[in-house]
Amino acid sequence: MSLADRLPAGIGDRLPEDDGDRALLLGGFAVALALVLAATPVAVALPGELFVFFEVGTMFVIYGILVLGLDLQYGHTGLVNFGHVVFFAVGGYTVAMLSAQNPFVGIGLGYPWLVALVAGVLVAALLGAIVGATSLRLRDDFLAVATLATAEIFHSVFVNFREVFGGNTGILGVPTPLADLAGDTDTTMLATLLFIGGVTAFTFAVVTRLTDSPYGRVLRAIRADELVTRSVGKSTFTYKMQSFVYGAALAGLAGGLFALYNGTVAPGYFTIQVTVTIWIGMLLGGASNHRAVLAGLAVIMGLRLLSRFALDVAPVSADAFASIRLIVVGMILVAVIRYRPAGIWGDPKELGVDS
Amino acid sequence: MSLLDVNGLVKEFGGLRAIDELSVSVERGELVGVMGPNGAGKSTFFNCVSGVITPDGGRVTFDGDDVTGDPPEELARAGMVRTFQNTRELETMTVRDNVRLAGPDQPGERTLPALARTDSMQTHEREVRERADHLIEAFELDHLADEYSSNLSGGQRKLLELARVLMLDPDLLLLDEPFAGVNPTLTKEIAERIRGLNDEGMTVVVIEHELETLTELVDRLVVLQQGSLLVEGEPEAVLSDERVIDAYLGE
Repeated sequence: MSLADRLPAGIGDRLPEDDGDRALLLGGFAVALALVLAATPVAVALPGELFVFFEVGTMFVIYGILVLGLDLQYGHTGLVNFGHVVFFAVGGYTVAMLSAQNPFVGIGLGYPWLVALVAGVLVAALLGAIVGATSLRLRDDFLAVATLATAEIFHSVFVNFREVFGGNTGILGVPTPLADLAGDTDTTMLATLLFIGGVTAFTFAVVTRLTDSPYGRVLRAIRADELVTRSVGKSTFTYKMQSFVYGAALAGLAGGLFALYNGTVAPGYFTIQVTVTIWIGMLLGGASNHRAVLAGLAVIMGLRLLSRFALDVAPVSADAFASIRLIVVGMILVAVIRYRPAGIWGDPKELGVDS
Repeated sequence: MSLLDVNGLVKEFGGLRAIDELSVSVERGELVGVMGPNGAGKSTFFNCVSGVITPDGGRVTFDGDDVTGDPPEELARAGMVRTFQNTRELETMTVRDNVRLAGPDQPGERTLPALARTDSMQTHEREVRERADHLIEAFELDHLADEYSSNLSGGQRKLLELARVLMLDPDLLLLDEPFAGVNPTLTKEIAERIRGLNDEGMTVVVIEHELETLTELVDRLVVLQQGSLLVEGEPEAVLSDERVIDAYLGE
């Protein structure tokens, strides 16, 4: 007799049945805990050695939102987006410029952060719609080129239009609502990780519901063969557009949360390195499987973190070590493509690759 | 009124006229065969009618509406569904999902009902699954239902493609070489199924190389040559026509 059978019907019925519902529950719990921590006088003290784990953990959950959006686009719909960072950046800059008070350089309008966050998501979605409308009707590889180019253009705009975007300094003075609420650094760190982690869990729940439904079936059919999907009556362009825009909006959300956590945005946070990291995480874990892409991202970011500690004991300079790290990451990727082309937890048949 | 009326269809590739002023019409309930030597324009004709490519001239009327150049998804929803010469399976999906995909009017294929898991979506999905399972069983693919379709043989793929398009319950079914690469036993079986669908009232147009099966199957034969209509009529009359013999046996 399972647990659900032994519980009174009313409660048993409400137990989450699948990954998505569990994530929803977990996300709600994490966000609630974060708010309690931040809003009440309760304070935590974290050992100083753990700081780095909290920092990397927070970046992991932010990048987690990015990789879930990218996987909706690539893993499920087959759209190759090599400029995912641009939607992350546009979300971050929109939120920063709308909400910053007295930025050092660049524009800061001082609107409430919640308004700015909503706007950040919308602007990223709008940019996604523009890129999608111009590239998605063309041959598949045009999207890859168009997204890569868009990311480079925006990066250069952010650096060069100093009066607007603050150049390499970026936008300072972005409000940090959780930090203001929590007060001390340690409590802020824990609350931030829990809060953004909760949002990532919500994102997981939303994309799982979407891809588990008949909607997801159409997306995977487009990935397999667009003409067949059209010939059984599905408007594939609309689906490609939606999938692309949803991914962009999620990246905008991640960028906005990053700005409100970090208190500043600058071009250095939004380099092609971000796109590379989430692509490697997705391919390493296994595209088209939400858990796998998050696990892949955890592996790659965990390796980076490990290598920080390794640097302390390594008999080489920091520069040399950075190159070694790149070589190691590259070799891991080569090994995965050679031996597990669908990723560590991916399904080769689902992705149409021979292993 | 004809169910499908093709009038003065023209399609050029570079300087080559693949379809040259072709006019064909198909009555409701008919079973029509389209034949012709290689390069006669049979598949191009299908592609133009089904919206896969846009014709350069002429008119296609389906059920009284001008559908010239309409995209395949709109035509499929209007009741005109096709299969492909080289079977196109969704290889990264299971047999079940291949068939389920084609279920029409599923509210769960829109974002909000999918996210909210509405009752109407779930009820509809149950119907889709039932119907898909029924079709998979009818085509004797049930032992393969959970296999990825990349694992299917050529003949099984033809059956799967038929099961998939039947989910749409089409008024007009366009079959592009349904017997190509299929063994004789299965050829007979597929022919019987096509005959059965037609008996139930479905209008079917079949392109085929395999003359024997085709002539036994259809009510009327249309022979194309170099993109235009060579002969049309009852199968026996067409096959004994000298122009057809010339076209097939060559100079």
